[in-house]
Parts: sequence; structure tokens; C-alpha cells
Amino acid sequence: MRRVAAVARNTFREAARNKILYSLLFFALALIASALALGQLSVHEERRMIRDVGLFGVDVFSVLIAIFVGVNLLYKELALKTVYTILPKPIARWEFVLGKWLGVMATLVAQIVVMGVAVAVTSWFEGGAEAVDAPLVKALWLLLMNVAIVTSVAMLFSSFSSPFLSGLFSLGVFVVGRSVPDVRALSDRIGDGTGRILSAGCAVLPNLHLFTPSGTAIGGQYVTVHAAPFVGASYLAWTSLYAIGYSAVVLGLAMLIFRRRDFV
Amino acid sequence: MIVARPAEADAAAPPGSARASARDVVLRAEDVRKTFRLGFFRKRVEAVRGISFTVERGEIFGFLGPNGAGKTTTLKMLMGLIFPTSGRVEALGRGVPDRAAKRRIGYLPETPYFYEYLTPEEFLDFAGALCDVPASARRRRADQLLARVGLDHARGRPLRKFSKGMLQRIGIAQALMGDPDVVVLDEPMTGLDPLGRKDVRDLILELGREGKTVLYSTHILPDVEMTCDRVAIVVGGRLRSVGRLASLLSARVLSTEIVLRPAPGHAGNGAGSPPGEVAGIPALPPGARRLPGEGDVALELPAGADVDAFLRAAQAGGAVIVSVTPRRESLEDLFVREAQEKRES
Repeated sequence: MRRVAAVARNTFREAARNKILYSLLFFALALIASALALGQLSVHEERRMIRDVGLFGVDVFSVLIAIFVGVNLLYKELALKTVYTILPKPIARWEFVLGKWLGVMATLVAQIVVMGVAVAVTSWFEGGAEAVDAPLVKALWLLLMNVAIVTSVAMLFSSFSSPFLSGLFSLGVFVVGRSVPDVRALSDRIGDGTGRILSAGCAVLPNLHLFTPSGTAIGGQYVTVHAAPFVGASYLAWTSLYAIGYSAVVLGLAMLIFRRRDFV
Repeated sequence: MIVARPAEADAAAPPGSARASARDVVLRAEDVRKTFRLGFFRKRVEAVRGISFTVERGEIFGFLGPNGAGKTTTLKMLMGLIFPTSGRVEALGRGVPDRAAKRRIGYLPETPYFYEYLTPEEFLDFAGALCDVPASARRRRADQLLARVGLDHARGRPLRKFSKGMLQRIGIAQALMGDPDVVVLDEPMTGLDPLGRKDVRDLILELGREGKTVLYSTHILPDVEMTCDRVAIVVGGRLRSVGRLASLLSARVLSTEIVLRPAPGHAGNGAGSPPGEVAGIPALPPGARRLPGEGDVALELPAGADVDAFLRAAQAGGAVIVSVTPRRESLEDLFVREAQEKRES
């Protein structure tokens, strides 16, 4: 694990010294802070507005950062030929890919923590200490699980494609993944061959809708991030397992592709 | 003549030499081939066409060849960066890639690129961690290596601010971070000024004295003559020669350079003489020529000319023999000959 940790640490250090990521973080924080102003525009819905806008900011920017970093990760190593120095050392190729992924995840954890603290501070500013509650933490955890999958998908594409195409594919997977319940409903309605193709697509693509359950029904219960308990521990556990399992499968594919690659 | 596996031209090593007894193979390529498929139409390009050679423990082995000969591709196959289309590569007795073997090998890629946001200290620490060097030893080892490659003064500077020569030096340092038994350097002299080249050459010799095996590719031939125990010459993806330099270079005299001082009455008349004739000097044999220069008369007699008879005649005419130098084949001659033979074939 020492080698995996070394690669992860180096990847985190690279992200920490990347000015573009700081720009994205700045925009995210600006959006979250703007929730305070938007809250003032709403009537008696200030807290709701702040939480919705804040979590929206965390969601969008964490996904953007995951895609941006994920698609560049392996491609940059190949394009800049830094991989020629690393892989002849006693590190397996799968360890290198895993280390890279862990490094990005560490970056995303740090970013989500910073953005989450910003949401908490704005919520506290408007609603006092009770506005910083368990549903907020649960929602942030689910968004972290969401980007774990998005990062893995981006890395898979980046193991064989250019950053531009990988970014497009990853964004496509994210958009469709978020719409899985709608696509499923559509495929049921269509029914024929097209419906079966859509249905198969839903089975393969990640169901990212699971990570933004607010405003839907789970087990016959309406859940919302604005009211405790939001989602239970079992929901958090199995969605986390789903995210880790899906990420592991996708990362495994990326490792397989990377394993047989010639570094010319 | 093209051969898939040239016979090793190994002369016996000097008796008692440490290297004479060290015959175990640390790197081996057996009939290795690599074909790339390039472009939209997947055109086949044969980069390496059946190369076989071995590198023995403790030797400094030069891997020579013109640009595009297949040197880097072969080294990358030995390092596990490229998979051979056919044939077998082994490092320290194990098929490549093997983690245990990689732990004992240090590698400098051609025109190395590094993480430019890191400082040399951070980069060497990272390289050390990948080589399983304990954290407590990494700092000490990095300090030693930075001093060894002359980058002590730049330890806090990010690599993006390094010159090409400095990058080459930090590349060598990272290759040595795991204290490897075998060091593989791909074009280590590239981008270095004459002083830098000398430093790297000295470092290679120093590594050899420490008992490490060094394999390096280059096309800077004087460096090879000064450092290598054995060389392999690759041209067009094929191995043309492999063995000790003394054995590869023909012992045959290619020409003889003679410097004469004409008899006193003739001095200074030589420059205006017709071609083939020099005042106060016997008639030149066929194929001989006068070399440009003032003062003493320098001549080049071709291989096969009767040098003794010519010198006797010169002495009889009153000339003083200043020097006689038989010119044998140099590494450059061999290199050019191999490249020309390949072109003609």
C-alpha cells in the first residue's frame, strides 16, 4: 500500500497546486455565498433556498472537478511521459491507477468539505446552529459517493481516449445517470426494441439519481433534505456500497486497459 | 551481411579482473521483435526485428545505433513499458515485468519529463517511496544524490524551472534512488553541455567501479570508447554487432600516417610540389596523399603500401622520420560501416 499511497499523495499534491481547481472552488464558494442573497428574495423560505442553492453548488462543482481531474489524470501522465519514470519502478500498473483514483478522491473530499463548511456557515448565518443538521451532512456524503462513480467513469474513458472526448463521454454518463428513473419510465412506455435498448442502458450506466433522493419517495416515504431524518443509515449504507462497487468495476476495467497498454 | 543474432565478439577479459569472473546475466533479450501498427490504416512498422543480447553483471554496456534504430524501443521492452510482439525479455533472471526485478533496476527514460510542480526533494522522496525505500532513509538518500548529481543548490526550486541539463541530472538521481544493482540509462548525455557530459561519463564509470551494471544507449561514440566494456550496435531494428570493443574493431591497419622532416636543402619546397610529389621526399606510392599542414610533411599511406621501403627511401634521401602512426578502425568507422552495410543491403 506504500506505493499506492505515494501515488495518491502525489496526485493530491498536483491538484492542490493546480490553479484551475482553485478557480472552480472559488466559483463554487461564490455560488454558495450568493444563496444568502437569494434567500432574502424568497418569502419565508430563506433556509430552504440557502440549502438548495448550496447543495446544488456542491453537486455541480464537485462533478465538474471530478470530470476535469479524472479525464486529465491518466492522459496527462501519457502525454507528458511522466509515466515512463514511474512504471519501471516496482509498482504494478493497477496500483498506479488505484493510487491516482485515491488521490483524486482525497482532492474531492477536501473540496466537498470546504464547500460543505461554506454551506453550513451560510445556513448558520440565516438559521442559527439548528440549521446545520444531520440531513445536510448526509446529503454531502451522498454527493461524495456520487463523484466517486463520476471520477471512476472519467478515469476509464481517459485510459483510452483524449481528455476532450473523455470529458464529453463522462458528462453524458453523468446526465443520463442522473435521469435513470425517467429513462426507465420512458423505456417501459415505449416497450419495443428501443425500449429494451434504453432499459439495457439503464442497467449498465450508474444510477446517479440515488445520490440526490431529496424530493422523492423511498420505500413509500417522502424524503426531503429539509426535514430530518432525510434518509436512514441503511439507505446511506447500501448507496455507499453501490458507489464503491460500481467504482471498483469501472476502475477494474480501466486497470485492464492500462495493464496491456504499450507506452511508446 | 544481416544476421539475426551476431556471434559475440568477446575477447577474454584480463585474467584476475573482477569482471572476468562475473559472467551471470542480468539483462537478456531473446529474438525480441516489436511491430507497431500506426495510423488510420494500421500500417505495420517493424521497430525491432529479432534482437538478442545479454548484459552481464558488473559491466558497462553501450547500446549504440543511429536515430530510429530501435534502441529506445528495446530498452522500453526491457523496462516493461512496451510488450514485445514476440521473443522474450528477462531482467535479473525473471520475465519482464517483475516487481522483485524492478526493485533492483533504476531507469532513466529518453528526454525525461517529470512532475514539474515538485521540487527535487519532493520528487526524489516520491521516487524513493515507489522503490520501497523507508521514509527515514529517503531524505538522507535524496540529499546524497542531489549532491552527487550537482543539484544541491536547486533543491527547493520547482522542476518546471529546471534547464534541460538539470532535468537530465535529476532523472539520473531518481534512477539511483532505490540503490539499484542495474542502471539503465536511455541517452543520458542528451541535452548536456561538454562539462555535463563529462560528469555523466564519470558517474557511469563510478557506478561501474561500485559494481553496478550499467546499460546505456547513445550515439555519442567517444563516450562509449571511454566507458564501455562491451557494446551492441543496432541498425534498422537489427543487432549488427555485439561484443568487446577491442574485438569488434578490426585490428587491420586502415592506413599509416607518416610525418617527415625533409633534408635541409629541400625544406619549404614541398607545399608547391605537384600532387604525388614532395620535394626531398621519395615518390609517393599509389593511393598515398599528402595531408594539409605547414612545416613537416604529413603523408597518409594506404593499407597495403610498403611502409618500410618508403621510410628507407626517405631516410636515404636525408629526410628525418618524425612519426609513424598506423591508423586502425575506430568505433566511428565500425558504426559507419555497419550503417552503410545496412543501407546497401
